[in-house]
Amino acid sequence: MEAGPAGPAARAAQRDAGPVLEARGLVREYGPVLAVDGIDVVLGEGEFLAVFGPNGAGKSSLLAMLGGALRPTRGSVRVRGTLLDAGDDGWRHRIGALSHQGFLYLQLTAEENLRFYGRLFGLRDLDERIPARLERVGLAARARTRVRELSHGMRQRLALARALLHDPDLVLLDEPYTGLDPSASAVLRDVLTELRDGRRTVVMVTHDLGSGLELATRVAIQVDGRFGWTGEASALSRAGFERFYHEVVEGRVGAEGSGAGGPEVPS
Amino acid sequence: MSTYLTQVRAILWKDLLIELRTRERVLAMGAFAVLSAVLFDYSIDRALVAPQDVAAGLIWMTIVFGGLLGVGRTFHLEGEDGAFRGLLMSPTPKDAVFLAKTLANFTLLYVVSLLVLGVFMLFFDLELGTSPATLVLALALGSLGFVALGTLFAAVSSGTRLGETLLPILVFPLLVPMIVYGAGATARLLADRPVAEVAGHLRMLGAFALVAVAAGSVLFRFVVED
Repeated sequence: MEAGPAGPAARAAQRDAGPVLEARGLVREYGPVLAVDGIDVVLGEGEFLAVFGPNGAGKSSLLAMLGGALRPTRGSVRVRGTLLDAGDDGWRHRIGALSHQGFLYLQLTAEENLRFYGRLFGLRDLDERIPARLERVGLAARARTRVRELSHGMRQRLALARALLHDPDLVLLDEPYTGLDPSASAVLRDVLTELRDGRRTVVMVTHDLGSGLELATRVAIQVDGRFGWTGEASALSRAGFERFYHEVVEGRVGAEGSGAGGPEVPS
Repeated sequence: MSTYLTQVRAILWKDLLIELRTRERVLAMGAFAVLSAVLFDYSIDRALVAPQDVAAGLIWMTIVFGGLLGVGRTFHLEGEDGAFRGLLMSPTPKDAVFLAKTLANFTLLYVVSLLVLGVFMLFFDLELGTSPATLVLALALGSLGFVALGTLFAAVSSGTRLGETLLPILVFPLLVPMIVYGAGATARLLADRPVAEVAGHLRMLGAFALVAVAAGSVLFRFVVED
């Protein structure tokens, strides 16, 4: 098992070691329901993929498989070349996940939650790390407040601090903006913007097209368990992309399109 | 301290701290123990049956029924904000999670077991005999085996539609050795028989606890992983 997250020197050495995330042929079935149907995701260091799609498209299942929380029916996921399987938990040091739920203990304080997860990840500098992370998400004054007494927005920010506490290489975000007020969204956006530091790889599932386009380097639209379209985010405008998104979701654009070779997206 | 032990200690600390703040499980188990002893006391016709003759079996059944109230809710609070999924997504080995949660449950149940013994001594006019330490050891070994099985099957039942209702159906058949040797040792010690007479019972309780902990450590990952 690894002793802890990779440090700066290790990160530098890994930079040219291939993709951070490599998922091939992912399929997930729930009985007769096909939630994810043969998706490939390959992302290098510093790439930020936003996955859009309607409810029931299989986005959360995809994200859960990328994080090792859900076993694919078929296909494989590798993070930094390590296959995510049940035999070894060392790769979990490299992944930080923010879900619909915060994974927080409501009876513990904000500081106690971070200390608990820090110990699970084998972190040794928690006395310095935890106050800094709480400060960054604007919760320094709430360090000793029990999570049950925090607002939804505060819990979401604390959950983000928890997900990033161990400096993961791969960050997985599932609808991080859901239910947040504008000020909480602004704090979250600032923290997510900082994730685009060229070192971290991010996959974010969201319905918020504006935030997704603003942060992402690559975009995918998932429909009925498959990527209906993937492409670069830099050339897309929100208005044009919103129309295109609805066309893809409603099936007016063929699912075979992908990136440069696919249907043209209004910029 | 190794990472493994740090992880076990972190989960144990977290579980006990949450229980200290909520007192949810220990209060339910303690209240059940006291009320059961009162009802058992009324249910015995002392003109026909000496309470001391049936006390050992009733003590162990009270521990089992009361313990299920607490052990069955092992994963209840974990599910409130998806926290258990967060725990499973950490690099903590699953057997470390199992051991920590078993130790937390053992701590709670052992306190309740001692309470049960005290309450029965009060209502059934029992005396500890000359080997109270051996009696306390028998309760510890039996409780450990019980919570190891209970923790494993609480994980199984928490993922089903039947939930806690399923737990006794899964666990009770496996508790027969614990009840036989636990009640046997307790009856002899309360009757002030020599400790050598219960050495075999203690060995069987120890073996039961060892097998339950080992089996739980191996099987837990298959229960909690998708």
